Amino acid sequence: MRKISIILGLIFAVLAVILSVLPLYKLSFIPAILALAFGLLAFLKSKKNQEPTHVIQVVFLITIIALALATYKSIFSVKEVGDTKELKQLEQQRQEEAKEELEDLIIID
Amino acid sequence: MKFKLTLIVALVAFSFSQAQDNKAFKAGEKLTFAASYNMSGILTDIAEVKMETSEMKTSSATLLHLKCTATTYSDFDSYFKIRDLYESYVNPRTVTPYLYNREINEGGYYKFVKYKYNHKANLVESLIRKKTNKTKTGFWDQNNNVKINGNTRDIVSTIYKIRTLDINKAPIGASDSFTVLFDNKMTKISFTLLAKETINTAIGKKECYKLAISVAGNNFLKGNNANLLWLTADDNKIPVYAKFKIAVGSGELKIKSATGLKN
Repeated sequence: MRKISIILGLIFAVLAVILSVLPLYKLSFIPAILALAFGLLAFLKSKKNQEPTHVIQVVFLITIIALALATYKSIFSVKEVGDTKELKQLEQQRQEEAKEELEDLIIID
Repeated sequence: MKFKLTLIVALVAFSFSQAQDNKAFKAGEKLTFAASYNMSGILTDIAEVKMETSEMKTSSATLLHLKCTATTYSDFDSYFKIRDLYESYVNPRTVTPYLYNREINEGGYYKFVKYKYNHKANLVESLIRKKTNKTKTGFWDQNNNVKINGNTRDIVSTIYKIRTLDINKAPIGASDSFTVLFDNKMTKISFTLLAKETINTAIGKKECYKLAISVAGNNFLKGNNANLLWLTADDNKIPVYAKFKIAVGSGELKIKSATGLKN
């Protein structure tokens, strides 16, 4: 049980760190909470059986890094659109083409 | 007499798609939305969607240019860049389309679709252009003539057409359907008025018509009554909020700003 909890905790902690650096950083809160839960479970088991807790500390450390990064990005990152120069040129080009195509159009209501 | 009267009332009430004049929007309208992806209740803003209208004059006619663009936010650009353009040139009064362009650039995938409508012959001259390594130009063109029925529209003009309907006269539960030409295939899209409710939006607290959208024979949009659209219950009928369910998770479209409104 202790070993499984540590393994799962490590997996979720690593997943949380990976997600926290990606644009979908908000999703990292889910594996981070799971990592903390498994870490806590493993920690309690270790305390009870008087076994070492070094790996569990690593799980907590990675999770805290992921949570800190995701929280920072949630608060401070501003959503703005990227470079739309090409799209604007394309819009202009298509509009000119459309004007030529519709030149002979007669609307009958 | 009573039966006849009931029949007339029912006909008026149930069909809110009769040929209405456009009283909902004019040239110069600009609506901006944020598109988000929802997974396990966590919303992530992915792209900005803009819906703009402008006037286009030719030597013989004045048309309304309806333009929708989708652009991913800069942090997504390095992973999955989207630069989509959907536009339709329509009759300003009846929103009947004459020309439709769809140019999509999604994570390296490119496609250009052009429809030129011939309403007299009920035909659409269609051009589908894709990227290929097999031709010198780097593009592969497919030209077709597609037979349509009288009320067939493209996706852009359909969205705007819904805004011109007299939804205020329709009872809860009333539905209507539109035939939309998409990728040279005619698709039936149905709208059902589910309720009238007040929601909070970025442009204020708005009383809205809640519409359910269903697409016949489509696997992209999932679920029953899971694809919803909220239109303001005023003369502008602005789409302020939309919810749609896809294969993994769901998506949302929320209004950020609205300018140049007609009413």
